[in-house]
Amino acid sequence: MAPERYDAVVVGGGHNGLCAAAYLARAGQKVGVFESRHEEGGAVHTSEATVPGFWHNLHAQYMEFIDYMPFYHDFDLPGFGARMIKPQCQVGMAFEDGRPPLLIYTPDLAEKTHRSIAHFSRHDADVFDDIRRKVMAADQAIAAMLYGPRNPEAVVGDLGRLWADLGMTPADFGKPAKELIDRLFESTELRAVLYRQCLEWGADPHEGTGFAFVICCIWLCGIHYLVKGGTHMLAHAMASACLREGVHLRYNHRVREITTREGRATGIVLADGRAIEAKVVVSNLDIRTTYLGLVGEDNVTPEMRAAVEGWRFGPEHCLGTPSFALHAPPDYKSARHDPDINRCFYTIVGYETAEQVSEYILQAFAGRPPERPAAGTWVNTLWDSSQAPPGKHAMNGWYFFPKASDLSEAEWNDVRATYNARFLELWQRHAPNMTRDNVIADALYTPLDIEREMGMLEGDFGHGRPKSLSALAMGQSPSLRQGRTGIAGLYLCPGNGVSAAPGYIAYKSAAEDFGLPAVWKRDDRGY
Amino acid sequence: MADATYDAVIIGAGHNGLALGTYLARAGFEVGIFEKRAEEGGGLCTEELTRPGFLHNVHCNYHTLVGVCPVYEHLELEKHGLRYVRPAVQMASVFDDGTALTVHTDLDKTCASLARFSRKDADTFRRLYEETKGYLDMILLTLMYSPPISMKDITKALVAWGVEEKAEFLSVHLRRLSIDQFLDQHFESAKVKAHLAFHAACAGYSTDRKGLAVSFPLLAGKIDNWHLCVGGSHALAHALWEAFAHAGGRVFLQHGVRRILVEDGRAVGVELEDGSTVRARRIVASSIDLEQTLLSMLAPGVLPDAVRDDAARFPHMDWSFFSVHLAMNRPPRYAAAAFDPDVDQAWVVNLGYESPGEIDRHWQEVRAGRLASPRPNAAVNSLFDPTDAPAGGYTGLLRHFAPYALADGGPEAWDRVAREYGRRCIDQWRALAPNLTDDAILHWETYTPLDIARRIPNMVRGDWMGGLIDLDNMLDRRPSASLSQYRTPVSGLYLCGATQHPHGFVTFAPAFNALQSIAEDHGVERWWR
Repeated sequence: MAPERYDAVVVGGGHNGLCAAAYLARAGQKVGVFESRHEEGGAVHTSEATVPGFWHNLHAQYMEFIDYMPFYHDFDLPGFGARMIKPQCQVGMAFEDGRPPLLIYTPDLAEKTHRSIAHFSRHDADVFDDIRRKVMAADQAIAAMLYGPRNPEAVVGDLGRLWADLGMTPADFGKPAKELIDRLFESTELRAVLYRQCLEWGADPHEGTGFAFVICCIWLCGIHYLVKGGTHMLAHAMASACLREGVHLRYNHRVREITTREGRATGIVLADGRAIEAKVVVSNLDIRTTYLGLVGEDNVTPEMRAAVEGWRFGPEHCLGTPSFALHAPPDYKSARHDPDINRCFYTIVGYETAEQVSEYILQAFAGRPPERPAAGTWVNTLWDSSQAPPGKHAMNGWYFFPKASDLSEAEWNDVRATYNARFLELWQRHAPNMTRDNVIADALYTPLDIEREMGMLEGDFGHGRPKSLSALAMGQSPSLRQGRTGIAGLYLCPGNGVSAAPGYIAYKSAAEDFGLPAVWKRDDRGY
Repeated sequence: MADATYDAVIIGAGHNGLALGTYLARAGFEVGIFEKRAEEGGGLCTEELTRPGFLHNVHCNYHTLVGVCPVYEHLELEKHGLRYVRPAVQMASVFDDGTALTVHTDLDKTCASLARFSRKDADTFRRLYEETKGYLDMILLTLMYSPPISMKDITKALVAWGVEEKAEFLSVHLRRLSIDQFLDQHFESAKVKAHLAFHAACAGYSTDRKGLAVSFPLLAGKIDNWHLCVGGSHALAHALWEAFAHAGGRVFLQHGVRRILVEDGRAVGVELEDGSTVRARRIVASSIDLEQTLLSMLAPGVLPDAVRDDAARFPHMDWSFFSVHLAMNRPPRYAAAAFDPDVDQAWVVNLGYESPGEIDRHWQEVRAGRLASPRPNAAVNSLFDPTDAPAGGYTGLLRHFAPYALADGGPEAWDRVAREYGRRCIDQWRALAPNLTDDAILHWETYTPLDIARRIPNMVRGDWMGGLIDLDNMLDRRPSASLSQYRTPVSGLYLCGATQHPHGFVTFAPAFNALQSIAEDHGVERWWR
């Protein structure tokens, strides 16, 4: 039997794989996406994890890049049923002792954010407001960095000016985020929120990620959308857009091998032995699995091997996701000061001080579930009643947990059986109505489950990161830049957060290398 | 969503909605499908219910009309990624005395297995099978894949075709018999009869219900045509979605329809739950239940009272399914494999019904709202589809006929009793397959008739068949004489779901037949001929 043939194949139908596929197809390529799971979207995933009719987002909770994401706008994802809701009160922290909540609103409601922070520190409120305004004014340059700028020199210049305008020195660039947060802000409440936000975008606040914090954290904190119907609805719209471009989506098709000849990708082999030829291969899987698992030890170059060795998985970005089916949403003690905490999109529960957040992170990184079972929480049914049966509520949260391999399977089973109950006890101390009677059912999805279900090594939803700055620099060598791999025609697009940037960049590189139409170019966009 | 306009608006993205949409899109219609749930496929529903990587078909598991149904070929579903497996050992019955009976794709092997219980029954089964094969596909195609005619006309046609004279098994008398009575007339071994009754019950036919013997020869002829969908039943939904999208159609999930808009007696579109309006230039078709379509989505007064009454009176199945889904680290090894080794390779396994009478007693228990002493059927799909479990894992399914409303506590009582009943079902499996010790089962979850109704809103009262299978609810009487031709009194509004002839299950026939009515009414070019 002659092998099947595509112009381009995409290994993995996560959102970045779908993004690359859609652009490649629009550029005239015959594209096949091969996904090992029975659903598209990877971590853009929603499941009836507790009781049928209650929809829970087990990975991606909020969409912070929607306004900037080329895939979303170029392919008219709303026209395929993607609907976004942007709650006004975006991020909040509730306190056990009934202090007023700390609340951060969308940028257009800066006065409300100011008022809330000022309750703890007028200085912090002023500084936060100042940084936020300056960062938001430079948002297009930041987005361009993420999505691959058309004019890199200009963007670097813009960001340099922003950095100086924020009063930062070049030395601050590589300082731990925590050091900068502590320098900028005095209230333990705001520090606590920002430490946790920092980690959520993959940056350990105790490490040298100051630039990432100031630029990304302040930019993203407050521009979250929730996807109506659950996060997976966005994946569905992405897949619909791909299908509309003529892409073939193949489910339960695990790829066993990426074939190469003389340093060029030639196609893939599926788990059942079928060979598929293609001149462009885009891998949505992580670098280690792609290089060592699919390309194979014998075919990777020394440079590729060094890149894998310079990469680690976890401990950042290793999550436990609790799901609770509820009769009533939480009613926080802090709401007596400001009822908005009960109508906040992302509510952090379980910390009284910034030090507790720091300790929580260090415990998770040291390989054990944090003793204080705090969580970030979302009750999406407050905005979208379709995610639970009438009158009921569906909640999800994030615990930061150790990496999958830090605990044995039996230990994870134990965590799965007990940790939610510990969280509920803490939750009830913040919101007295969160009794066992208010819970219809609950479930916990651990880093080990994530690794097994999603193939995300160690349950690291960011697909790992460079071990060091020197490893990061290695990744900047020309042959490994912009999704390129050192094998001609093979591109990588695993990502971190639902930006669809790696998929977009992989397509742009393939378009450049193969002379495909630049269907991505827009006059109104610098990336 | 923003207001929009399509040629055809279809309510519900189950397999019937998707198939109808694809035919119409390929005929040049602009088609939008609006689905209340967050997934397409309706009952083609596969979930990781237990552990990551274990794919459980929480609704439809058996596809029996592959190769008969024309839709697969018309819509080129294989090209859109659809793959089926037809297990060589299709079914088995495992009995308490250590014997077992197996049904194979190889008729000789089936007959050899039956002959160990009764040589006469084996010969009878062979004659029944071969006789039905002689005319079965023609009858199936004619009866299932065209708008229904009356039982009287079918009888006339059978006489005209000479089937009535030549046939040993197919006769007009069948409409006075239950499947059990048919089996008693032709077969002698209780175990052979138990297996044949079991298989009919798995296909949705109450074996004690008068008149259903009319369908038995057709069922028997397809006893070896049970297919499983590689990657879970939801994979069929994905193939349909791709076919539909490649034809230009759009599916909107979590876009529930609130009202069907009617102007001057004509359906002109729908209003969605989010308040937006979607206009339909040509047709609106509903693939969901009658209650929602006719009683809640149409304003009062639009339908004649008699038709509303028909919809309100429409009978639902008087039994549903209780399931246990298991993540396992080994497949069952039956004690009865010592008697018939093929039993370990069988797909659909009857765990212990020894006679049709035993099944009958269970129908009575179930109709009275009680839980029957467990005799579940078992299927381990990963024996045939390794993609449905992680390496070294097996995905197990136990299913039992069960009431929707329990006598003690109604449907809500399921949440209280499910775990215990699930455990009893597992115990019965273990009694026949002793290797399924506690350490073989990594995790298990129950899925009750109440869960069916919760997950799929148009499976009213856990009715996964879209209405009772009964002689009075068949052919041109399903769902009522007034609604049997896929049309409604509202011009431009069609019914294309499981409530229509022939019934639920993955037949695609309601959609295909509705398509014929729509094509006739709207001058659609029949590209599929």
